[in-house]
Amino acid sequence: MLIDLDDEGFDLKKLVFSKINRKLTFLFVIVALIAPILGIYYFYIIANSTLSEALFADQGDLIRIVAIAIIVIIAVDAGFVGFFVSRSISKPIKKLYMATKEVEKGNYDIRIDINTNDEIEELGNAFNRTTAALGKMDKERREIDRAKTEFLSITSHELRTPMTPMKAQLQMLEEGYFGKLSKEQKESLSIIIRNADRLDKIIVDFLEISRIEAARLKFDFTRTDLRKIVKDTASFMKGFAKEKNIDLVVNTGKFPLIEVDPDRVSQVLRNLISNAIKFSENNSKIEISAKAKEDHILLSVKDYGYGMTPEDQVRVFEPFYQVDSALRRRHGGTGLGLAICRGIVEAQKGKIWVESIVGEGSTFYFTVPLKPVRKIEPIKVLFSQKSVIERKIREEFKTILGPLGVGEFNELKNKNALSKDDIFEYIDSLTEHYILECDRGLYFKNKIGGIFGDKKGVINNEKDTFIQNG
Amino acid sequence: MKTVLVVDDDVDIRESVGMILRINGYRVITAVDADDCLDKLQSETPDLILLDIMMPGKPITDIVKQVTDIKIVFMSIVRESDAKNKGLCEQSNVVDFLQKPFNLNDLVSKVETLLNKEV
Repeated sequence: MLIDLDDEGFDLKKLVFSKINRKLTFLFVIVALIAPILGIYYFYIIANSTLSEALFADQGDLIRIVAIAIIVIIAVDAGFVGFFVSRSISKPIKKLYMATKEVEKGNYDIRIDINTNDEIEELGNAFNRTTAALGKMDKERREIDRAKTEFLSITSHELRTPMTPMKAQLQMLEEGYFGKLSKEQKESLSIIIRNADRLDKIIVDFLEISRIEAARLKFDFTRTDLRKIVKDTASFMKGFAKEKNIDLVVNTGKFPLIEVDPDRVSQVLRNLISNAIKFSENNSKIEISAKAKEDHILLSVKDYGYGMTPEDQVRVFEPFYQVDSALRRRHGGTGLGLAICRGIVEAQKGKIWVESIVGEGSTFYFTVPLKPVRKIEPIKVLFSQKSVIERKIREEFKTILGPLGVGEFNELKNKNALSKDDIFEYIDSLTEHYILECDRGLYFKNKIGGIFGDKKGVINNEKDTFIQNG
Repeated sequence: MKTVLVVDDDVDIRESVGMILRINGYRVITAVDADDCLDKLQSETPDLILLDIMMPGKPITDIVKQVTDIKIVFMSIVRESDAKNKGLCEQSNVVDFLQKPFNLNDLVSKVETLLNKEV
């Protein structure tokens, strides 16, 4: 793709007030003025000394007028020449500028054609080579990304194939096809079957993720009464809640029939409810609600369970992120459920998030658009927030502590002390030793808290205690 | 004795499914791909075909198109909706869908109901 400036339209104002144009034109006019002024000045002196006084007095005015006229004409000429010469420089630079903007937008196919036969042409050629190299890298990156998804998909299918005969044989054993089993044999077999099921679940989740990442997730849109879906899903999940004697309360407003994939909504809801059950205490309740908003429906699942720290709230949608490894180990699960939920919701351009207070419970929210999104785009599910969070922390260290901050950050990182509490402790030690003023320390804490998902005001409470402590 | 033809490229699946059905009192023949399946159908007329929909070689649509008088049950690792999207389940003799890895009892009860109805 070649940049064509003419596409941009002719803008006289821009052209005349280009800085390069102004500078060069000015330079030309100055140079063009100095030369004739000097020339005419010498001519004037010579004429004055050689011509007879009477003749000079007679013709003096004419000479002066002609001299001024010559100077003005030359200046105007020089101005024009300067303007066009400078335009020959500023035009290719403008081309380059526009091409760079295209690259900024991610268009690496852009090439520019500058034929000025000078350094600017060389610059243009170098630019073309750079975009070509960038384009190649971008293509490679895409290919690697696609290969990753493809690998995940193929591997999951291949892993799933042996599950079929394995489970068939295990079930035949269990059903007593090959003779009666002793109590110990039955127990051993049930453990094997349970784990085969678990393995299969992980593989199925991986398949789902590979579909989300490759934008192959299928949605069958039908006009649906979402209230019915919510109620049906809740009553289906009641069976699982019974064990812990948890009450599922459904609360839905009124809304029109909308076009959605009922199975997908149900899938996300089931996942959230089963999570809520896992992290709830016995004899508590879970509230499931659906409300119509302007252009979407907001669904939520609220539990009164253990709750989550702000850091967990940010990272809980990452694959395999362990909110509380002890809890998770006790409850099982693949660790991919919420990542899949995020993929499904975001494939429909919806949002999913959690609000939670430790010890009080969590509320998961997600939105379903009133109009279905038919063009599904790939979504990165196997993606950790960890590196993003670390980069943000590093930036804050750099802005608040200056160049030293990076070293301090690296030291904390090496000590594996980059959790919110660790960093707060570190900031406290800075203020205690008067390395950082109290105000700055608080500001620092606010910034770090923000990265970990703290809402503004949460730390303001701490400000009071800070002031009390002096 | 009713005869079931099991078509799957995976030897362990053929054997496992064959074993289950034989124990439950069916005669079982097997084929490894679409070509083999069509060969077997030259000499045999099974009452039911259990057909894997993803096999190397000839596409299974060849079988489905040629065999219109025998009930076919699809077996697949992909979900039924995905298979439907590929336009595979339209033929009227394709009567059921078994999602792999299947439950043993599902398989047996499906085969049982399908073959008893015919009587």
